[in-house]
Amino acid sequence: MKQNNSEPLTLALPKGRLLDNVSKFFKQKGLDFSFDNRKLVSFDKSGNLKIFLVKNSDLPTYVNHGIAGLGICGSDVLYESGYKFFNLMTFDFGSTAMCIAGKKGYKPSGEERKLSVATKFTKFTSDYFHKKGIPVEIIKLNGSVELAPVLGLTPYIVDLVETGNTLLANNLEVLEKLEDIKVHLIANPAYYKLHYKSIIKIVNILKEN
Amino acid sequence: MGTETIYMEDAFKHRQANQELGKLFTSWGYLPVETPVFDFFDIYQDFIPVEKDIYRLIDREGDLLMLRSDITLFLAKQMGLSLKDNDLPVRVCYSGTILRHQNREDISKNEFFQTGVELIGKADLNADMEILMLLHSTFKNLEIEPIVHIGSRKLLNAATIDFNAKDQKKIISMISYREFENLEIILKEKLDKKRVQFLISLFQFSGNREELKQLITQSNSLISNEEKDALDELNTIMDNLSKLESEDGFIIDLSEVGNQPYYTGIVFQGYIEGVDSAIVSGGRYNNLLGEFGFKTPSVGFSLLLRKIESKLGKKFSLPEHETVNEPDFIKSHKKAEKIRKDGRIAIL
Repeated sequence: MKQNNSEPLTLALPKGRLLDNVSKFFKQKGLDFSFDNRKLVSFDKSGNLKIFLVKNSDLPTYVNHGIAGLGICGSDVLYESGYKFFNLMTFDFGSTAMCIAGKKGYKPSGEERKLSVATKFTKFTSDYFHKKGIPVEIIKLNGSVELAPVLGLTPYIVDLVETGNTLLANNLEVLEKLEDIKVHLIANPAYYKLHYKSIIKIVNILKEN
Repeated sequence: MGTETIYMEDAFKHRQANQELGKLFTSWGYLPVETPVFDFFDIYQDFIPVEKDIYRLIDREGDLLMLRSDITLFLAKQMGLSLKDNDLPVRVCYSGTILRHQNREDISKNEFFQTGVELIGKADLNADMEILMLLHSTFKNLEIEPIVHIGSRKLLNAATIDFNAKDQKKIISMISYREFENLEIILKEKLDKKRVQFLISLFQFSGNREELKQLITQSNSLISNEEKDALDELNTIMDNLSKLESEDGFIIDLSEVGNQPYYTGIVFQGYIEGVDSAIVSGGRYNNLLGEFGFKTPSVGFSLLLRKIESKLGKKFSLPEHETVNEPDFIKSHKKAEKIRKDGRIAIL
């Protein structure tokens, strides 16, 4: 068998909020890692993992191209990427919800024929409403989506809601939860096929209580 | 090439590899066929895994056409229409461009060129073995060492006999993408807990010949006769590969259930280090030709040649060339001709 066990597995992790959760979780399992100042590549203590730090929304791209064989990423970002991966594990941390929100007490006037939504998650939003047969106008924003209803760009937004504090501060409220968002360990399918033995070992370590 | 331009050295390599394979296939008695570049869409509609990926066009009469997205499919129709009983068995090979939609920001998958073989009219394991050994020789001739994961659509079909076609399609996708949590939910709708657990562990299995034998002994009391048949088939294949000292490049992987809806028997995909998706896929499809008018079994594989060209051995690269630079053209030409006679490349 040409499984190469000496080479470390490659894992992409997203910069930002999720990283703290991931490194804490990995530490509990004995897979400590840390990044030197401004470095974007590191190894875990055991030397079994080579870890890259990439921008959250670019993570699926790196795994899709096999640059990193594995990755940890929210289902929101995975969905937007449009790529298909193996889902090896779902984590307990980092769960949030994709919601549609609008101004508190906002009543659409009868003249509004279509739903107008500002969002970062254009693919999710268009697919979601398309499936329900609801015509939707989507305006793509890259951040601070809460501003859209406040400034009058669109009456509604589709965004991730964790605590709801940002919404509250802007006098917005959740109208409906559209989907639960979870954090997953994903693999490039071909990479998994070539390295499944070492990957299963790591997954078992991560799944251990 | 239709969708991309390949330049000079790369094109040379591509052509060399393609010729090498042509020679190999011919030496096994596989003769070339050419298939149309476009055809009526409705003929193939039921056999297309993702309709969105197909390029469709409308002809002057208003009929919907599609561009060739999978040579096996177009070939099956041609063969289904033209073959007769006394032609069988038929061995054919092909090589050509295919067109599938790819994200405009991501055209790196190189799924534009298929080279492959089909053995039509033989349903036995010897035919499956012939195709696997031809694949083995293909890799040898290309000087590459991929790993081929062999599974069985027959096993999948036997295991999901209680489910309708729509659910079965979902199950296939869940197994292929290892979504075993979702698989558990769907299986539970029709099957008891013990059976669900067994099937989930079954479709997660991958291993070598010995591990497969162990699996068969362990699961003896839990499986149906049809499932056992499918596993025994894989067992015989691994035994044969071992007798031919070729088992190194093959493993059994029951999560391989076939990436095309038309498979019915063994299915396989090959992977190579440094390439981000499968480079070859194939298997047995016993009902496809029947859909086009002539019911006969078939087995084959299809290699996405462009994916592996960076991995090819040295013999496919452009040889060293010599520049002949005499002041006199007559002298130059004569000298160059001598060099060329020795099988080297001379440039004036």
